[in-house]
Amino acid sequence: MNDSLAIDARAITKTYGAGALAFTALKGVDFVVNRGEFVMLVGPSGSGKTTLLSILGCVLTPSSGSLSLFGRDVIAAGERRLPDLRLANIGFIFQGHNLVASLSAIENIELLLELRGRSRKQSRIEAMELLSAVGLADKFDRRPSDLSGGQRQRVAIARALAASPPLILADEPTASLDASSGLAITELLRRLATERGHTVVVVTHDNRIYHLADRIVRIEDGLIQGGETTDQTRTQRAQP
Amino acid sequence: MSAGPITTRASLLTRLRVMSAIAVRMMLHDRLKSIGTLVGVVFATLLANQQAGTFMGLLEKNTMLVANTRADVWIVPRTLPTLQQAAPMSISVLHRAQVTPGVAWAEPLAFGGASLKVPGGGTEQLTVVGTRLPRGAGGPWNIVRGSINDLREPGALFFENAERVKYGGMNLRSQRELNGRTVHAVGFTWGLIPFGPAYAFAEYDTARDLLGLDRDQTNFVLVGAQPGQSPEQLRDALRARLPDAQVLTSREFESKIRRYLLTQTAIGVSFGTSTLFGLLVGFVIVALTMFSSVIDNLREFGTLKAIGATNWDLAIILLVQSVLFALSGTLLGLALVSRIAEGIRSANLALILPPWLYLGTFAVMTLMCISASSLALIRVRRVEPGMVFR
Repeated sequence: MNDSLAIDARAITKTYGAGALAFTALKGVDFVVNRGEFVMLVGPSGSGKTTLLSILGCVLTPSSGSLSLFGRDVIAAGERRLPDLRLANIGFIFQGHNLVASLSAIENIELLLELRGRSRKQSRIEAMELLSAVGLADKFDRRPSDLSGGQRQRVAIARALAASPPLILADEPTASLDASSGLAITELLRRLATERGHTVVVVTHDNRIYHLADRIVRIEDGLIQGGETTDQTRTQRAQP
Repeated sequence: MSAGPITTRASLLTRLRVMSAIAVRMMLHDRLKSIGTLVGVVFATLLANQQAGTFMGLLEKNTMLVANTRADVWIVPRTLPTLQQAAPMSISVLHRAQVTPGVAWAEPLAFGGASLKVPGGGTEQLTVVGTRLPRGAGGPWNIVRGSINDLREPGALFFENAERVKYGGMNLRSQRELNGRTVHAVGFTWGLIPFGPAYAFAEYDTARDLLGLDRDQTNFVLVGAQPGQSPEQLRDALRARLPDAQVLTSREFESKIRRYLLTQTAIGVSFGTSTLFGLLVGFVIVALTMFSSVIDNLREFGTLKAIGATNWDLAIILLVQSVLFALSGTLLGLALVSRIAEGIRSANLALILPPWLYLGTFAVMTLMCISASSLALIRVRRVEPGMVFR
């Protein structure tokens, strides 16, 4: 086990169903992400990328294999410890934003901050800072239904960053957005992640945002096909 | 702030507050469903209390004579099952009671059905109660017209004010034929209609004559205790003297009448079934609307689970919602049933809603809502956090 790794997944398999109806979505995947890395997981529909993301997010248990997050063995932790593990380590950004409809933008973020042990007062301050960071300070009291798709996704990003969990997992964050909004959202996520030192895994098939990744990992038919480092990374690394 | 594993956790109290706030917001957000759930609780409260209140009213109507006499102890025939089935017993019981230590006074009470001839044809049944003056321990009470002293006149009676029209437009001094004898009205009472014919009060001897009771017979004996003597002590002393009669404190006699109504008639089963039916309908409405609300918000529950909320956290949401629905629905339902009780209050029927029934309703409705939410809870427990990625 390597403590410098954010994600260390080895020989991960996932089979749904049993017998003749069994379907293997992941067929022995090795997936490793360094701390602070911004990785995009790409591949066609049904390739297994969302299944892998669900396993990395500790919301789905693999059929076999090992998984460590920041040096901690997730499989050995057991089902009952998973909610705590998610709360401590992972911020989620979902395809459909998944904000609580009855709560305002700021309350959606405060909810997570308070669950993560912040006081009520501190939560309000930090939530406001996060909303400012995503450019929505003036819309703090709006419900999700009163915000545009892009604005909702910004709130979702702010919620994912609440209390600075080390790992951010994003599932198709640009899927419901137009091209310019999708790019702007991913740029925002990239910038905030870099500033704060988050490790990010983004599942996407939107090739217009590929250049923002440090590394792109392709998955097809339940198997990792290979990874590549993007120009963006090379440019950034070349900077003093 | 730089990223790193979060080591702090919300305390139990914080989680309770945060989840309660979400519960309230969800209720307010999903107004139509919340109104549906509320209607279920209001309906159950209304129906259950209307039935229970009517039942309490009927019990009260049947025990009001015993409750309103000024007697500490009643002496009744040995085999008497309930007040309305009064039978004659020897007057010697009265004499033996009068000389029992601890007895301040003892008086006979005549009680029985009589038939009143209505001018223009037809008859009306009533229950004659004969009480000894000047004490008038057996009534009348709730007097709306007339003086109890006027009962000394031969053939004088107090009738029920609400039955005056039925008695042929009866007024003060109106004459009627009762069990073949001419009587006249000297006063009126209000609301003294038991689960049967209305009470009419007469002086003991007048009543005995009307009911055809022999001089050496009486229906009941009412006994008052000397100061310092408890009803129970007096009862025990009288029991020792009167082995051939039943001796009961007023409270015991009331309980005996209630028990008879509950066990020997269909009233208890009938009202109990209606009350349960009301609760059952309310339970089904609440269970279905809460379940449906969970189904509608399944993705939100899944999201909450994915971001770190536990099953307990989600249970708090449902529990808080159940309790809030129960409290607000019960409050509304009780306000409504109180207004209805005011509206339908008459001499014949009064919904009795004692304070314990109000408190009991809150408890029953809270239990009902919590159990109704268990269906939703089971569904919430089964929500997989992984659904948020599908």
